[in-house]
Amino acid sequence: MATVYINDKAVDIGDKKLNLVQAAELAGVTIPHYCYHPALSVVASCRMCLVEVGEKKPDGTVVMQPRVIPACQTPAKDNTVIQTATAKSKSAQAQTLESILLNHPLDCPVCDKAGECKLQDYSYNYGNSESRMVDDKNTPPNKPDLGNNISLFTDRCIMCSRCVRFTREISGTAELHVINRGSHAEIDIFPTEPLNNKLASNVVDLCPVGALASKDFLYTHRVWNLKTQDSVCAGCSTGCSIHLDTNKNVVYRLRPRENPNAQGYFMCDDGRLGYHYVNSSNRISKPNLKSDSGADISSWKDIMLSLRSELKAVASKNASGVAAMLSPFLTVEEGFLLATFIKSISPKAKLVLGPVPVVGEDDHYPKTRGSVPVNVKFTIRNEKCPNKKGIEEVIKHFEGEVVLISDYLNKNSPDALFIAAGYQGEEVSWFDNNLLSQFKKIKLLITQDLFPSALTDASKYVIPSAAFSEKEGTFVNYAGLAQELHWACVPLKQVRTDGQVYLDLLERKGLLQASNIRDEISKSIPYFSRLAGGKLGSDGIHLVNLA
Amino acid sequence: MSALKPEIVEKIKSLILLYPAKQAVTLPALHLVQDQERCVSQQAIVEIAALLELSPAEIHDTMSFYGFFKTELNPLGKCRLWVCRSLACDLRGADELLNKLITKLGVAPGQTTKDGFFTLEEAECIGACEGAPCVLINDVHSHNVSDADKLIDDIRKKL
Amino acid sequence: MAKYEPVLLKRISKDNSDHIDSYIADGGYLGLKKALKDMSPAQVIDLVKASGLRGRGGAGFPTGLKWTFLPKDHPGPIYLCINADESEPCTFNNRVLMEKDPHQVLEGIILTSYAVGASKTFIYVRYEYGDAYRAMERAVKQAYDKGLLGKNIQGSSFCLEAVMHKGAAAYICGEETGLIESLEGKRAWPRIKPPFPAIEGAFRKPTIVNNIETVACVKQIIDLGADWFKSLGVPPDPANPRDAGSYGPKLYCISGHVNRPGLVELPMGISVRELISEHGGGVWKNRKAKGVIPGGNSMGFMTEAELDTKLDFNGPGKVGCLGLGTGAVTVFDDHTSIVDVLYNICRFFAHESCGQCTPCREGTAWMFKIIDRIRKGHGRIEDLNILEEVGNQIGTMPGTTICGLADGAGWPVKNAIRKYRSEFESYIKNGDKKVRTLNLQMSHH
Repeated sequence: MATVYINDKAVDIGDKKLNLVQAAELAGVTIPHYCYHPALSVVASCRMCLVEVGEKKPDGTVVMQPRVIPACQTPAKDNTVIQTATAKSKSAQAQTLESILLNHPLDCPVCDKAGECKLQDYSYNYGNSESRMVDDKNTPPNKPDLGNNISLFTDRCIMCSRCVRFTREISGTAELHVINRGSHAEIDIFPTEPLNNKLASNVVDLCPVGALASKDFLYTHRVWNLKTQDSVCAGCSTGCSIHLDTNKNVVYRLRPRENPNAQGYFMCDDGRLGYHYVNSSNRISKPNLKSDSGADISSWKDIMLSLRSELKAVASKNASGVAAMLSPFLTVEEGFLLATFIKSISPKAKLVLGPVPVVGEDDHYPKTRGSVPVNVKFTIRNEKCPNKKGIEEVIKHFEGEVVLISDYLNKNSPDALFIAAGYQGEEVSWFDNNLLSQFKKIKLLITQDLFPSALTDASKYVIPSAAFSEKEGTFVNYAGLAQELHWACVPLKQVRTDGQVYLDLLERKGLLQASNIRDEISKSIPYFSRLAGGKLGSDGIHLVNLA
Repeated sequence: MSALKPEIVEKIKSLILLYPAKQAVTLPALHLVQDQERCVSQQAIVEIAALLELSPAEIHDTMSFYGFFKTELNPLGKCRLWVCRSLACDLRGADELLNKLITKLGVAPGQTTKDGFFTLEEAECIGACEGAPCVLINDVHSHNVSDADKLIDDIRKKL
Repeated sequence: MAKYEPVLLKRISKDNSDHIDSYIADGGYLGLKKALKDMSPAQVIDLVKASGLRGRGGAGFPTGLKWTFLPKDHPGPIYLCINADESEPCTFNNRVLMEKDPHQVLEGIILTSYAVGASKTFIYVRYEYGDAYRAMERAVKQAYDKGLLGKNIQGSSFCLEAVMHKGAAAYICGEETGLIESLEGKRAWPRIKPPFPAIEGAFRKPTIVNNIETVACVKQIIDLGADWFKSLGVPPDPANPRDAGSYGPKLYCISGHVNRPGLVELPMGISVRELISEHGGGVWKNRKAKGVIPGGNSMGFMTEAELDTKLDFNGPGKVGCLGLGTGAVTVFDDHTSIVDVLYNICRFFAHESCGQCTPCREGTAWMFKIIDRIRKGHGRIEDLNILEEVGNQIGTMPGTTICGLADGAGWPVKNAIRKYRSEFESYIKNGDKKVRTLNLQMSHH
């Protein structure tokens, strides 16, 4: 049990190995810092975290060290004393900021980072409002094409070297380096190796100032107008925790959200930049029922009524003639509600799993160029859907086994198929021609999806799916970690979330409340028993004990 | 087309055996290449990186730190003539010497004469202060240099 | 006082002084052979500790004590890095030792390696010392040929490999962890401490870094004994319990406005005034000294009135200098403008700052821009206050930087402003200006 004293407040840090920046945070005290990051090696080069450090002796007296010391490189031990607001500490902080700003262009009005910039924040809290610098500032040229998605505004860089350390220690691709020395040092790439690795855009989050920019986001929106919501990426089974930044129902940006249970601090570029389909004007915007008379019906009320009664009619003639395909993109709640609805139509109705998109192999980082093996720090999984595990467990519960849609259709000919697709993405079709021709053989096709396709053209009922940014629910990643999604946008036009549609089909009243559904599921499906209470916290819950 | 000649590649490989880590051969490899080619080209960096199992950026990081290595855009002439500009030499006329050399050679520090013979550079203390003002002719000291013309002529004769 | 007979510089004027045959004929390597046969490594360490030898590279840390920081019973390998990067302006004693008596240095290296248990020594020589590098390289080869390097040296169980390594013209490679980073093939950004090199140094193994002059002293201590070493120099100040004394001979470099710039070996503790007049031929052109830098650019200035200061580890500090440094004494006369001198020094540090940590990277560049502007005639009085403040703020002493380059950069600035303030003020007020003809901005590279 170790006690550390921060600004005269005692904090028990237990037996954790912490540096003074982390120890101070436990006491609610911020020690400003730039170069320190918990996922990267410690360099203590920015000198922003300089504080007075001392020791409390057994007799109660406190002996402070004569020099200021970087908090990030100092381990917190029993009886360590930190003073962050003494004249000496404040003077060190103000000096560091004055030094950093000597060559800074001060172009906040045109800088993307304004509003979430550590230089602004720390200058405001710890710095001076005026500079004594009257000489010419260094003006190194900007590098707009450091990578496909990365621009470097060289004159804003404070040389914290986080980006360089990231490419060496986390991605292992080592594209970024420092050139020159002294006050002429700059970040750069080697001409033959631009910054294009799959984790590249994390350096934009890591950059404390507006030097590194994501071209995807550059100049599109001011951050103080964005609303931030916690959610989970739907790109693969890693299930990175994310922040969704939106304004007026438009998604502008995804950022990784720190989660020690999930992926840590970062996310891959495919996930980060792969949200544009959500804002696409091609999305199916209303439900449609092809009527024999030729006039299509678009009213939800009529379509829901018709769908329910048609399915019941099919089931009354053939109890096992109704089937539903659940895609691995549905949330656990959606899978459960749809399964419940289909089984209420006919207990003999069949539930099967939609195609699981797999691309290549799992992609492990850091990469190495030599033969020295390293610990894996990040993996982009080849299973490109977020909830196969969750949906499989739902299907297993209702069916006892999990069968893939293509295998099912090879051996069976259902009269009606409810295709709950909702595959998140616009570029690639989730079904191939074989599957399409198998679908087309089915008399009654109900397709619920995001984008129009040959399948929706061939379906009697077309129901729009919602994007993951519009849902609340639960994804279970490859390791059995259940995480909460929260909706950040209202679905556009006449789109309802998939879960809401199933609730309506079940004729259950009210709006979908994911926490209530979770609690319900926890009571009926043993695998999901830890969802009891419905709240998973921001870091999620492991549904099974990790090995 | 390989930028590194086979004998350089062999030398680099033999140096790898002397050090506990391949990266340590970065500086010796850069010296080997520059001494022979008078510069380290982009392709040479790529090949050195491959031999040392590093990224080209890591090699270039070290290379550009020193300001000593030239790229193929401004290779060294046959003679790198560096004039010390630190205090002891400054106190004994290094500035005048440099100006005379600039006039005589017709280039500013950092540039190479048109015939590709001399690259004039300024150096920080080269450690021959007992003979200030002094210069380095590639890596050999010349003390008590007061006659810029004679210096140039002597170098041309010797090299 | 009897004239001192040089020991370190004894052989440098001989013909072929750099060849091993000449060295052995003069009794060379006998000390090594004796040590390998009759002394354990621990005994060598004790002997060097007893001698009171303090590092000659500029920091003055007790050498024997530094050696004891290595972890006991480490499986190895342990490395010895020899710091021949000598880049402190106005310093050239290591160059002379390597060029003229490389085997003295090499014997010291082998003895040191034996004492600390190093199996490999990296001799890091700055690129600009081409002749010195080649002399050491030849010496190493000659030593291998005679079985003084390599496996089972002189029939003992001690093995040592020596690797020559060239620098590339960067001052910061003289900083011990900067040297280690440079040796490892990276940019020479000094490391944060802890861990200290003795625990985790080159290639993450225990490493000792020693200066050329220091290891030459080690060789002489083995030959001539600790008592001999202690008989020279200045014992500790009884009033100062932290003083480890200033023992042994020191190589003093004299440069600048003197009649006889050169290298001289004397017992530690000679006064600046006596060094200049008795060994440097006095200030040139019959002028007086305006100021003297006692130990390389980083140490600051002594005014004419302060020249009776002793050049031992304590003396310069008493008159506000950073320390003895490398013992390289540079004189500038009373016809020299302090503005020019400070300009030169600030330009050096701005050029050589490695750029890793904020206060030094920005501070050295800022100080240079300010002194440049003052020199060109656009200075303001408040610039002097800024210079003094920045000079005070950056460095390992206030704790704001990773390494001591910043202390060395700031000290001359704050010294100059304090000791020569009236000259600065009058320069600024009178609108004096100096423009360097055919000028080059701090031509980076």
